[in-house]
Amino acid sequence: MYAGPFWRLPPDGPVYRYALVPEEKHMNCNGSLHGGMLMTFADISMSQTSRAASGAESCSTVSLTCDFVGPGKMGDVIESHVRVTRQTRTMIFLSADIVAGDRVIGIATGLWKIV
Amino acid sequence: MTTSPPPGFTQTRLIDPFELHVGPVFERGEKGARTFALLIDERHVNMRGVIHGGMLMTFADASLGQAAWDACDHANCVTLNMQTQFLAPAKAGDLVEVTPVLTRRTRSLIFLRGDFTVGGEAIFSASSVWKILGQD
Repeated sequence: MYAGPFWRLPPDGPVYRYALVPEEKHMNCNGSLHGGMLMTFADISMSQTSRAASGAESCSTVSLTCDFVGPGKMGDVIESHVRVTRQTRTMIFLSADIVAGDRVIGIATGLWKIV
Repeated sequence: MTTSPPPGFTQTRLIDPFELHVGPVFERGEKGARTFALLIDERHVNMRGVIHGGMLMTFADASLGQAAWDACDHANCVTLNMQTQFLAPAKAGDLVEVTPVLTRRTRSLIFLRGDFTVGGEAIFSASSVWKILGQD
């Protein structure tokens, strides 16, 4: 994976968990995690959760909204904590907190189509 | 990665390490009305050969970010929020184009949106809010 690596962590109850350890290539010119990289991590962790929750071979992102709450820095271990809000026969609604330790750095919500 | 610009485009000067990693990005037009383009290659696609959602959102952040930069005379600004819709797939070899639209600029905030097209057909849309750092 060109933008990774990404790590899958054991789930915590209903919360699916993934991790990213930022490298120089993931940053912006302010030394913070690039917004596109944060959204890429959100998309990958939420797509993986869609597949795990539905058992489908693949799921496509239909929409994704992200709030950039704070900066992610080199040395942080960044985790995505994903919850399934609702699953129908064809669609999955998800939300994710992107955290660095106990600090929230991003909030994402999105809609996935079960393919 | 070295890729020749499509006809009529020049390479956008990127400075963020992540954008340099996934780029290049191309552009044409004047400051404040620039059109940006991404030529999809095999680094950008998923196992189905379709451009990855993260890559489209990264191109959105980069291109709308360039437009935000135009709108605030190159002050430092950061993304506060981005909303995206994935309308249709695009594949390696496709040229994705966007001409960001400035919806509103206040003293400290910039609102921008963009429709992303391949061959004139909409494949993705994004709207975003940016904060100009140092302005209350």
